[in-house]
Amino acid sequence: MPIIIISADVREIEESIAQKVADEMGYNLMNRRILADIAAKHQIDPGRLNEIMGTTPSLFKKMSARQWRRNLACVEAEVLDHLLAGNIVCQGLAAHLYVTGISHVMNVRILSGNSRCIKDIVEKKGLSLQKAEKCRAAELQHRKKWSLAAYVCDETDLSRYDLVINLDQIDPVEAVKTITGAAEYRKFQVMTYSMKCLADLALAAKVNAKLLDSMPSIKVQARDGSVVVITKALNRQKRKKIATIKELASTVDGVSYVEVHVKNNILAS
Amino acid sequence: MSIITISRGSYSMGKTVAEEVAQKLNYEVISREVLLDACNRFNVPAIKLKSAIHDAPGILERYRHSKQSYIAYIRSTLVERVVGGNVVYHGLAGHLLLKGLPNVLKVRITADLEKRISIVVERDKISPVEAGKLILDDDKQRQKWTHSLYGEDPRDTSLYDLSICIDKLSIEDAVDFICQAAGAKGVQPTEKSKQKVKDMAVACRVKADLVDEFPNIAVTCEYGNVLIYTKSKDPTTGKLSRQLNKIRENISGINHLETHGGIEFPSDAV
Repeated sequence: MPIIIISADVREIEESIAQKVADEMGYNLMNRRILADIAAKHQIDPGRLNEIMGTTPSLFKKMSARQWRRNLACVEAEVLDHLLAGNIVCQGLAAHLYVTGISHVMNVRILSGNSRCIKDIVEKKGLSLQKAEKCRAAELQHRKKWSLAAYVCDETDLSRYDLVINLDQIDPVEAVKTITGAAEYRKFQVMTYSMKCLADLALAAKVNAKLLDSMPSIKVQARDGSVVVITKALNRQKRKKIATIKELASTVDGVSYVEVHVKNNILAS
Repeated sequence: MSIITISRGSYSMGKTVAEEVAQKLNYEVISREVLLDACNRFNVPAIKLKSAIHDAPGILERYRHSKQSYIAYIRSTLVERVVGGNVVYHGLAGHLLLKGLPNVLKVRITADLEKRISIVVERDKISPVEAGKLILDDDKQRQKWTHSLYGEDPRDTSLYDLSICIDKLSIEDAVDFICQAAGAKGVQPTEKSKQKVKDMAVACRVKADLVDEFPNIAVTCEYGNVLIYTKSKDPTTGKLSRQLNKIRENISGINHLETHGGIEFPSDAV
């Protein structure tokens, strides 16, 4: 029951390949449709949730960095929770950036090929070749900027993926065949340990989303129900902050123990 | 008749993958022997060619253009070796040296840093810290080299058709994927693509013969018709004319040779 995460440099290609892989393997497809449910559960405007998946915080859009992070944390927590069920092809939810270190998760990147993309832009937008090239470069730069801002990692970095397929020369049908073939490999099969790692990741994400409601800048790790929260505070506020974090974190299902490490916030003092 | 280039970081098992792919497809496997060929053909010390393809150009080299000359020699030798097809090249910078050629399957093999460190520790009997430093230095040098000569980052996914992380997938899996991708329609050679490879070989050879004295030139070739682009508006200087006469005599496959000056170099020129 491996999990396949598919990301691409062009949304349409990503959707089409993910759908084909899900159909071929008989897996469920998880995509941006779940954002509506997440929005309802966390009382966020659905339009806003859709927007944060592609934009960085901006005063012009009336979205603060804190709000943006909190919304992203909600998406991350819900996506990880859904992934626990297994047999899933996930697409369009930036899971390739935060689901890491899980052996039964196969991270696949599809590249649509520069020449094909530029040709598409020329046809769709009626731009000249030069302008289409600029448009494409700006688009890629924007995605890179977003991934760095959201998860401090560059999504164009090869080492993030188990498999990267460029459709410049490889046909989409062959790409689907390669992905489904790879998913069958022994190393992507679910193991007790990999399930435990995924459950820990999901729990940490849930606690993170809960705490970001009331405080910025925290780091959460989880292991077998024990949660470690790392944060910053002024010396005089340390006790109060620890108590608040413990109170909030223990309300999350699955948390049995909370440990808080508070570093002195020199800047604030 | 496909051409496969396998690029990898040091100690990423790329060599083993390349050899097994070549064995499975019954292709010829080539690597650093291209450097030796280039040394013999262009009469350059092997150490200089090795440094040209491995180390990033220093400040002085950027003005001397010596590295450009050496790269042109290596490129010309490599393109001539792959003209016949059915080749797996796993030497340095294959995806860049064969840039512009159609039907080349460009593969990148990546491996986790820890795994690479463990290979070096076992092989060279050094500490993990030293091994890590060695690998990171090598990666940095590769990045600088690619950036200074081609303006690209070797980690950029778009440079490759297929990139495989060897950590979770085994060598056999990687070999399977590459062999499967080598059978893809887009990689199969056509008459047109075969001609393009031959033309590229001629263009690279002309460039290699001229680059020493004329570092700022670009060459294209189409069906044996060679166009040489220079930055100066009047390219018909005595020195260049004499060289061109030599080239006409020495290089086979040239039907017609023409020079153009003062215009922008075409993007597909070598």
